[in-house]
Order: sequence, then C-alpha cells, then structure tokens
Amino acid sequence: MLGSFAVLRKQSLLGDAISHAALPGIAIAFLITGAKDTNTLLLGALISGLVGTFWIQGIISKTHLKSDTALGLILSLFFGFGMLLLTYIQKQPNANQAGLDKYLFGQAATLVESDVWLMSIVTGICLLVLLLFWKEFKILLFDADYTKTLGFNTKFIDILITTFIVLAIVLGLQTVGVVLMSAMLLAPAAAARQWTNSLSMMVFLAAIFGAFSGVFGTAISASQNNLSTGPVIVIVAGIFVLISFVFSPGRGLLFKQIRFIKNRRDLKLHKTLAFMYHIAKTHEDISHPHTIKILNNFQGYTKGTLQKLVDKRYVKLESGNWSLTNEGYKTAANLYNQQSENNE
Amino acid sequence: MSSAQLEIQLIASLVAIACAIPGTFLVLRKMAMISDAISHSILPGIVIGFFITQDLNSPVLILLAALTGIITVVLVEYIQKTGLVKEDTAIGLVFPALFSIGVILIAKNANDIHLDVDAVLLGELAFAPFDRLLVSGVDLGPKSLWIIGTILLITITLLIAFFKELKVSTFDAGLASALGFSPMVIHYGLMTVSSVTTVGAFDAVGAILVVALMIAPAASAYLITNNLKRMLAYAICFGVISAVSGYWLAHWLDASIAGSITSVLGILFLTIYLFAPNKGIIAILYREKQQRTEVSLLTFLLHLKNHTDETERHVNHLNEHINWQKVRSKTVLDLALKNNMIRIENKIVSLTEKGNDFTTQAIDYIITNEDSQIEGMKDDFFLFRG
Repeated sequence: MLGSFAVLRKQSLLGDAISHAALPGIAIAFLITGAKDTNTLLLGALISGLVGTFWIQGIISKTHLKSDTALGLILSLFFGFGMLLLTYIQKQPNANQAGLDKYLFGQAATLVESDVWLMSIVTGICLLVLLLFWKEFKILLFDADYTKTLGFNTKFIDILITTFIVLAIVLGLQTVGVVLMSAMLLAPAAAARQWTNSLSMMVFLAAIFGAFSGVFGTAISASQNNLSTGPVIVIVAGIFVLISFVFSPGRGLLFKQIRFIKNRRDLKLHKTLAFMYHIAKTHEDISHPHTIKILNNFQGYTKGTLQKLVDKRYVKLESGNWSLTNEGYKTAANLYNQQSENNE
Repeated sequence: MSSAQLEIQLIASLVAIACAIPGTFLVLRKMAMISDAISHSILPGIVIGFFITQDLNSPVLILLAALTGIITVVLVEYIQKTGLVKEDTAIGLVFPALFSIGVILIAKNANDIHLDVDAVLLGELAFAPFDRLLVSGVDLGPKSLWIIGTILLITITLLIAFFKELKVSTFDAGLASALGFSPMVIHYGLMTVSSVTTVGAFDAVGAILVVALMIAPAASAYLITNNLKRMLAYAICFGVISAVSGYWLAHWLDASIAGSITSVLGILFLTIYLFAPNKGIIAILYREKQQRTEVSLLTFLLHLKNHTDETERHVNHLNEHINWQKVRSKTVLDLALKNNMIRIENKIVSLTEKGNDFTTQAIDYIITNEDSQIEGMKDDFFLFRG
C-alpha cells in the first residue's frame, strides 16, 4: 500500500536500502537489552532504518552523488556493519542470541499471535494516517513545489511518509526477510500502476494485489515441503506484475502491440485509398471502373485491404474492376485535406 | 603474522582493487544499484550450475553465475524500455524475483549439500586460505587468490585497453556514438566485467561486501576529486586500506571479516562525507552560510545605494527596515566595513567609492548575467563562484 507512494516517488529501491539498513538496529537493540523481545528489536530496526533513510537524503541533497550511489552505499555499509555486530554477538556468551539471523531471511512460521496483533495495529494506524493526510500526501507526491506554496509543511509530510514506509518495511522484515522486502513493497504497487492512473485506485489495487500474493504464496508454500514462505510470496507477486505488464488494457504490452498493428493496418488502408483517389481524380466520373491490376505495383495494396475498403463501402468491386463510391471519394478527399492541414 | 593472515589480507586487497575499478564507472554512470541487483541475482545461476556439475568449485558455476548477472541487466533494461516503470523499480522487481527462484531451488533440491544462502550472501573470508589450489600435488596458494587475481588482471587489461572509450562513453554517450564507439558494447562490456567480478569475489567475501567495495570507495573518491584517473586511484587506495584495516578490526573483535571491512569503509566514507575539502558536508554548510551573508551584504549595499536620505541610512533604522536580526546585521556591517565598502559616521552609513563601484558592477551582473562582468570579484566572494 505504502509502496504506491514509494513507486511514484521514484524511491523504489529505498525499500531495499531500508530493509538492509535495519539490520544494525536489530543487532544494537539486542546488544543493549540482551533480550530477544520483538518490540525492542523492531524499535531498533525502525531507528536505524530512519537514520539510513535520512542519511541517504542528506547525501543526495548535499553532495553531487546520485541517488543510486547513495542507496547502494547506505545499503551495503549498514548491512556490513550489522553483520559485524551479529557475528560479534554470536561470540558472546548469551543463550538468547540464536535466531537473530532469522530476521535476515524471514520466517513467517515463527510469527506468534502477539506479532500478528502488532502488525494489525500498525497497519490500522497506517491506514488511519493515510486517510487523514490523503490530500497532503497526494499533492506532495505530484507537485512538491506547489505544496510548499500552499503553506503545507512539506518537511513534516515527507518525514511522515518516510517513517511509515520504514515502519511497514521493518514489520515486513519478519515475514519475508531483508532481500525480498523490497519486492513486497514494489511489486503490488508496480502491478497496480499498470491498471489505473488514479492514486486512490492504485493504492487500493496495490493493497489487494499484496494481500492476494500473500495468501496464495502462503498457501503454495504450505502445500509443499521445504518451500520457505517469503520467496514464494515474492514469486507470486512477480507473476502478478508480469500479468499486469502484459495484459493491462491501457499500458500493457499486449494491447500496445495490438494497437500498433491496428495503426499500421489503418495506415495501409489510407494509403490505398489515397492512391485510388489520385487515379479517380483524373476521371470525370469518380465511379469509373479501373482494373485491379493498376494497384499491383503499389506497395500498400493487398487483397485484404481492398476487401476492407469494400466492407466500408468506400469501393465497389465488379468483375475484376474497382471503382470509388461517392462516400469513398469524399473520405479520401478529406483524408488528403487533413494531411495537408497537419503539415502546415 | 602467519601466512594464512597474509593470504587473507592479500585476497581482500585484490578483491577491493578488482571491485573499485568497475565500481568507479558504475557510480559515474549512475548505475550503482545494478551491482546490488547482480550480486543477489547470481544465486539462481550458481544453483543451476551446481545441479549441472555437482561440484561447488567448478568454473562452470562462475560462468553461469556471470551469465545470470548479465541476464539481470538485460531484463532490467528490457522492462525499463517498455516504459511501464522506472529504472529503479525495474531493478527492484527483477532481482528479488531471481533471488527467490534461487532460494526456492535450493530449498527444494539441495537441502543436504553445502550450499547455503548465508554463505552466498555473506561469504567467509576466514576460510578462503583453506581452499587451496593443488596442481599435481603442488600447493600454489589459495584458490580464491588465483580466481580473483585472474579477474583483476583481465579487468586491468580491459581498463587500459579501453580507457579512452570508457571515459568518453561514461561522460558523453552521444559523443561516443558519434565517434563510432558503440556505447552499447561498452555498456554490456562493463556489465559483464562487473558481473564476473561480483561472482569471482562473492565466493571470498560475500555479495554484500562486493556491493560495498564497489560503491563505497568510488563514492568517497568522487567526493574528493573530479579527475577520472585520480578517482580510480583514490578508490583503489581506499579499498585496499579498508580491506587491510578491516581485517585487523575483525581479528581484534573476533567478528566477521566482511562485516568489519564494510564498517571500515563506512567510517571512511562518513569521514570524507563530513570533511572533504570542497564537497564535504561541513564545507558545504560553511559555503552556504558564506553565500547567505554575501547575499545579505549585496542587499544591504543596494539598499544604501538606493537611499540618499540620511534617516534611511541610520544604523538603527537598517535593523527594522531590512528586517534582519541584530547578529546578522552586525555580521553584514562588519563584513562591509572590513572590505572598505561602507563608512560609518555618527551612526549614518554611507557607501565608499569602492562599495559604490562594487554595487554598480553587481547590478550590471544581475541585469546582464554575463560572466565577464564579475571576473575580478570572483576571488573575493564565494557568491560569484559558480
């Protein structure tokens, strides 16, 4: 859901970066408290995720390094630091440390009831905030400067969105793990984007796609042995994206191709018609029959196009001869006019 | 220092150099995230390679992994070309999908073998010296040393051979194609090199460190210099320094080597990010402050020039009129005094000859926007420097 904002803000890979950046937070939280309490660990992850995000934004705005460099940099550096801490923890005599690395790859099966409650509550809060600040989010998304002139506190809204994206990612970490989190954030939104141009529709669709891939993925992974949940969910989400890319009516590849072919046919039709018009123009009687053979050395001509012209009643066919109808003559003349108008 | 320690440091340094070279170009070409994508998506290549050869050390594995890396790049570009989503989204979609396929393949078919996601992602440098290359019984040193050494050699050869082409196509793709180099060939060449390097290095240091070693030194170097050759050299230096010191940090903490090398890289970058002479945060903040003061100064001088009336030029009046805080007006006044641009007599401020000239010049510049007008002022003021 929040992924929609990430995709539209061109911050798609932020999810990836944040999910990696959350690792040192988890490790530090564990080092401080010494206990494997989900809430503290998540808090740590949240904080380090936020630090990472703001550092990324700092790098982008203050130096000439580009966003991709900043992302990759923060991602790998934080993750490396987290690894250092994790291995350091592993050497400590503390029985609790086992299982910390579960956060890396995620394990939906390890979730207990309280985690689910926590997730539901946070999702509820996200929804509420989203509804409350809907207008602000939307306007900031598409025209940040305008928002500023309207007197909104853009910084505040920006931080709010970022915080919630980070929050969503950190929560999701437990389920699908670091690597696949970015896909969870992106895939539903990218799929939804193909079907609609309206933001509210997109958010709604993304939520549905996300939920469906979650349900299907879990079902598939439960039905087979040895399949971890996270990757399957991601694959299902990926299939959703693929289907959306190919079949969506407005932007899909399939329809684009169909439109392309249709345009080409129309063009051929017009070409043939224009050619006929030029021949017919030289005669006083426009419906004077000509042999089909004249058309043979003309490129756009095929039997199919001729037939189509007949179907449209632009042309009459009589025993190997063709003649333009009145209607056809008019259309062709207009076609020519339109073209010259466009040229001017 | 035992020979194993020496070998680890040697491998780490070689990896650092091998990563820094393509990394520099990736950073310059704004494709840094591609390296992250490659490092994740080589997983299915490795897994499939393992199924074919049943041998974790076969060169086929590296070949297939590199191939998957290139497939990733091609896929990302294809998705991007359809115009349906942006490039970053395309990357974010492709590599988790490939990675998932890899994870599922492992989980389904290779549960009992030593091929573990952690090992691929994190790598373990400490074990590298134990995997030795034996040629007819003679110990030639650790295998990864040979692999990474070969890759490095190829990379350097390619770099020297195609330096000019790389440079031109990186900074001006249009010019490059006009000159007859195909940017596509160079692009895919670079991608192949990055892919092969990633694959060769991940075995020794893990995928994440590869990404860190590619991006961090190059980014740090980019903050210090704008010269490509120097940037390459700095990046290599940073890589090697952090590889060696990272090893000792790990030794001291008894923690993961890859992790500590990355941490050293992080500290290095943070330091440069803060203190780099021209592009560091502190330098930028200082410059911004300076520019703000100078803009204020200019406003102030213009105000003086426009008002001949004495009441308008009274020190106290200025405070309320231009609406500045006390401290700020004082800074501006001091700066103007120091530069002999104003004179204060009985709390009445007036322009000196020099101040008058300066203001006229500045107005000319603002109106005409011609650089030649301000050549002489550039030395004294930040404001007019770019």
